[in-house]
Amino acid sequence: MADWFSRRQFLITAGLAGLALKSPALFANTTGSTALSPIMRRIPGTDESIPAIGMGTWITFNVGGDEQLIAQRTEVLKTFFGLGGTVVDGSPMYGSAADVMGEALNALDGRDRIFAATKIWTGDQSETRAEAGRSSRRWGVDRFDLLQVHNLLGWQGHLETLKQMKSEGNVRYIGITTSHGRRHREFAQIMEREPLDFVQLTYNVLDREVEDRLLPLAQERGIGVIVNRPFQGGSLFRRFQSEPLPDWAGEAGVGNWAEFFLKYIISHPAVSCAIPATSKVDHMKENMGAMYGLLPDADQRQRMADYVRSL
Amino acid sequence: MSGADWLSYSLQDFVMFGPQVFLRLFVRINQDLWPWQLLAVVIAIVIPVLILRQGRAARRLAVGLLALAWIVSGYGFLVGYFGPIYWPAAWFGWAFVAQGVLLAAAVFSGGVHDSRLAVERFALLWLLAVCGLPWLAMADSGQWEAAGLFGVAPGATAAAGALALALMSRAWRWLYLPLLVMWSLFSAAILWVLQAWWLLVAPVATLSLIGAGLWLNPRPARSLD
Repeated sequence: MADWFSRRQFLITAGLAGLALKSPALFANTTGSTALSPIMRRIPGTDESIPAIGMGTWITFNVGGDEQLIAQRTEVLKTFFGLGGTVVDGSPMYGSAADVMGEALNALDGRDRIFAATKIWTGDQSETRAEAGRSSRRWGVDRFDLLQVHNLLGWQGHLETLKQMKSEGNVRYIGITTSHGRRHREFAQIMEREPLDFVQLTYNVLDREVEDRLLPLAQERGIGVIVNRPFQGGSLFRRFQSEPLPDWAGEAGVGNWAEFFLKYIISHPAVSCAIPATSKVDHMKENMGAMYGLLPDADQRQRMADYVRSL
Repeated sequence: MSGADWLSYSLQDFVMFGPQVFLRLFVRINQDLWPWQLLAVVIAIVIPVLILRQGRAARRLAVGLLALAWIVSGYGFLVGYFGPIYWPAAWFGWAFVAQGVLLAAAVFSGGVHDSRLAVERFALLWLLAVCGLPWLAMADSGQWEAAGLFGVAPGATAAAGALALALMSRAWRWLYLPLLVMWSLFSAAILWVLQAWWLLVAPVATLSLIGAGLWLNPRPARSLD
């Protein structure tokens, strides 16, 4: 991947330029001079940056052999790429999602645009390489950019093998994941003593426990943070979408609820990337809107959290 | 994992697909099978006709056809279509196949009794199941191609199949019962998470027809001949 970054940047820029010409309304809610510059986050300890909004595949890409739905999900991925997204996260746990991702990448010839992240999800700690190999065949990638131990399942053995794989050049970055706020104490202990590139955890405007310990620890240890369940599995929309945005939302760079939820997350200095999942092109456009324009400052973030609590 | 960790899981965490994908399974299998599902409709009507004849051979043939329906819906719908998006469904699919084999074994091993039973009630309940339940997936999806037919879709097959409890001798009944109950609970949990409210009628109907099947089973036994 010697020319990986420059080619990716070129494709993003070209895609955005074309999109801005055809769909200026998409960028109409952004302010200032940064409207066409995606918000990027540097991976700690490297010179590489990734877009602050990625894409999860839990539920949404598990469509089996349904050709009609595979074509729809391919359009979602195309939109994601077109708006500058690169980070896609999956897991062998997600049923057929890996196969569907492989088909979508084939259709879009998108393998040089993707930052491919998946997980090791098996209790058999001798299966790390075999499972990574199966996943890479399903996605159709030579190697993953990021391999993570899923929900700390068999993490001791898997992490040792992942460290070896990284040193051999068979994966670029390694990490661990949790979700729903589970096992945070053990998670922190691993962050303190293992050489991790990324952690993945649940964080959103309502689930803020990680602000106390895990996010500061990630900053201190130089670990990138990928945020799952940014919409709390969709429940944030169900709870708040009928409510008005606060009057000051525009000042924080927020034009809709998707941006409200996502910008709250990616404006935390420890966060590298949030990975919302969607099966709809329109929702993908809304999500990717959060990757452009202003971000809330610390005071505005506090007001965002207070506002949601007040509803 | 601690007890608190387990308590943090909800039913939703174990369902890794959405309602759109699930309801499309009915459409897809009907499109792929066409026009062979018409044979399943014919079998669904023939079975109560055979039961109404109160004859030994006719009853065995009816149970044999029901065995075929379990196998086809298990291997076809559950293993072939549902399994790729949800691996527990594939396990249930193989269990459906085993249930069909069990019924076939019952036919050849004296597991289908010869006693008289209230065949009119059996036929009425059967027809209610095979004619009423296929509409549920259509109601939830809004697509007529989503008909969940007996012998194709597992819900209608299990619900109507529960009535076979009326035809089986004691030991075989208890072998046949567990899958009916497990499938009802499993499918109810999934449909609840998917908020497929109409389809939730199917597991409720299956549990009700289990009761009906046991109630219709005659005791003490009276010979047909």
